[in-house]
Amino acid sequence: MADKLFQVKIDGKNYEIAAGTSILKACQDIGIAIPTLCYLEGVSEAAACSLCLVEIKGVKPLMRACVTKVRDGMEVNTFSARVNKARKVNMELLLAGHPKDCFVCDRNQDCELRRMAFEMGIREVRFPKVTTLETEVDISSPSIIRDPNKCILCRRCVSVCSAIQAVHAIDAVGRGKQTKISTYGDKGLGHVACINCGQCLLVCPTGALTEQTKVSDIWRALTDPKKIVMVETAPAVRAAIGEEFGLEPGTLATGKMVAALRRLGFNKVFDTQFSADLTILEEGHELIERIKNKGVLPLITSCSPGWIKFAEHFYPGILKNLSTCKSPQQMFGAIAKTYYAEKMKVDPRDIVVVSIMPCVAKKFEADRPEMDSAFHYWKDTLKLKPEDHFKDVDFVLTTREAGRMVREAGIDFVHLPDEDFDAPLGVSTGAAVIFGATGGVMEAALRTAYEVLTGNPLPKIDFESVRGLKGIKTAEVDINGMKVKIAVAHSLGHARVLLDEIKEGRSPYAFIEIMTCPGGCIGGGGQPLPTNTVVRQKRIDAIYREDKNKQLRKSHENPAVLALYNEFLGKPLGEKSHHLLHTTYVKR
Amino acid sequence: MTKLDTKALDKVIARYEGKPGRLLSILEDAQKLDEHQYLSTSALEYVSEKTGIPLSRIYSVVTFYAFFSLKPRGDHSITVCRGTACHTRGSKKMLDYLKQILDLKEDESSGQQSKVFLTTKDNQFTLMTVACFGQCALAPVVEIDGTIYSNVTERKLKGLIDNIRRKGKNKK
Repeated sequence: MADKLFQVKIDGKNYEIAAGTSILKACQDIGIAIPTLCYLEGVSEAAACSLCLVEIKGVKPLMRACVTKVRDGMEVNTFSARVNKARKVNMELLLAGHPKDCFVCDRNQDCELRRMAFEMGIREVRFPKVTTLETEVDISSPSIIRDPNKCILCRRCVSVCSAIQAVHAIDAVGRGKQTKISTYGDKGLGHVACINCGQCLLVCPTGALTEQTKVSDIWRALTDPKKIVMVETAPAVRAAIGEEFGLEPGTLATGKMVAALRRLGFNKVFDTQFSADLTILEEGHELIERIKNKGVLPLITSCSPGWIKFAEHFYPGILKNLSTCKSPQQMFGAIAKTYYAEKMKVDPRDIVVVSIMPCVAKKFEADRPEMDSAFHYWKDTLKLKPEDHFKDVDFVLTTREAGRMVREAGIDFVHLPDEDFDAPLGVSTGAAVIFGATGGVMEAALRTAYEVLTGNPLPKIDFESVRGLKGIKTAEVDINGMKVKIAVAHSLGHARVLLDEIKEGRSPYAFIEIMTCPGGCIGGGGQPLPTNTVVRQKRIDAIYREDKNKQLRKSHENPAVLALYNEFLGKPLGEKSHHLLHTTYVKR
Repeated sequence: MTKLDTKALDKVIARYEGKPGRLLSILEDAQKLDEHQYLSTSALEYVSEKTGIPLSRIYSVVTFYAFFSLKPRGDHSITVCRGTACHTRGSKKMLDYLKQILDLKEDESSGQQSKVFLTTKDNQFTLMTVACFGQCALAPVVEIDGTIYSNVTERKLKGLIDNIRRKGKNKK
């Protein structure tokens, strides 16, 4: 079927187009842009926006190009006075109900609706707003804000939530002009099984979905002379933040990012990659322990907070398979406010930890009540009262918000010199960089586990079989004659396949990496817009370039992490690690 | 609140096992099972758990069809057709008249202005509207406890309501 070619005439020219192709896709491939706000290849075919109308010879009504497949002998006219008029009316109808406060909208610069209306030549909206809907903004989630007023009901968010993530947190509710996108019982995203991944936010063509932001609190902390404000940056951020300033996707902006953060006034610019290396030492040893002592296998990675909440909601039976390791973000906070505070002789209450993440679920993670290990560590020594309570990580910024702060401060990001992270919590290896791409945590863990178990250096450091955008990747690794089966999944729709195997007791794997977002963290809900397959691949390439450029590429060779064990923690999975670096999960 | 009859619900779910579009049939039967002719949150959550159909999807379906109710109904249901034909033949007046004689006031906070769902204090009557019954030739029409009454007038409605009231609260 896929090989069969149809003769199709589009705008007077003849083409051979594979059967099964939609008119919209065919036109995109031959360079004809048809406006659409709902269609997303591989994600959504909702046929909701009605902007992609085309004329087909012999067919009376105008047809939607997104859901109309080409036929042999078809003659399509993608632009005529009739098409133009109909598309414009439909656009005006979308705009009629839409707020006109673009000045203060978070999506001002990357709103698809605004851009498309402009490109379609809309200069007036003839229809009045007809208000019939409840207009309450949903702020119940610590990660995502949903403003139904700005929603154009394109259903991309619904599609990505169900088809890609298999979470089904939202759907269309009501009918006719009462229709809105909402949760079960209109409870709000914070009160249903939403995992805060923010993929909905990435596909939203308007400002209806944005992140919860605490930027103003961070500005306040930065100007408070009493506070030592330190920032940690996730691996995936350096491979994407350049896009916030017009740099090509795939540009590595590590040095400029560090320079910019220093100019924003952060006292210390540290790296989540330091704690990613630390995670590998803890998680690697956890894997070795479980294999040696016949513990619960497969062990599953726990870095991705969306995945953790997903497991807590949908697979409570396999929580024992999850690594007890906190994510690198949280390990960083716990270490900064204990080890580093002690080392620098500062009061942990004066430390403010800000993390920059490619993620909106990280905001939820930092707010989890159990993420206050440093407070408990100091409780007796400093005689802390409940009102002194502090979190390990105080504020979480997305890559987008970090870009916003840099712009707000008037910093010329593109022309900044490259600068280095501060020591010691800014020292990292290539193994930590690749945490940002799907398969990276697995590869980093293998680099360490292999050398710890065999005592020999790895013959080949790159595990190419776990890289790339394939949904599920599997491999078998030979460690001293022991065959270890591993699997990697990104996006939770794919993860479900591996999880169901565990549930049914037929999982052949010893170790599984699961990342919530397509492509891993580089495709996270906190990343610059647009984030699509092409952009994802470019960011992944940048991540592996950074890994190659690093002098040290194995976590157990990180000198700062080794010093941390020598001076403070003792050994992986030791008593202090247990209290500061490991956590528990709850059935939701 | 009545206790959820899980045994009966299990039977309903089993009846439509493997059938396409089973959700609508399951919900329809589940609503009939309820003493107050509605879908309680516990019923919705039970159906979701047993069928694996996401709650968001179930809620989407339930809120789409006027047939489903998320609130308990009174002992008797009155549904006024608000379709175009009925509207031109005075259905708005009939609706207002029913509100008046049943002493019902619009719930301002409900937000769904186009949908009416009002229950009397004594829980005897629930007044609802529907987009169209498809009985346009007989407009205006009002359905009471499953029977459609055509060409209704205020007098006719009063007679029907009084009749139910006379028969007593607990008999349908």
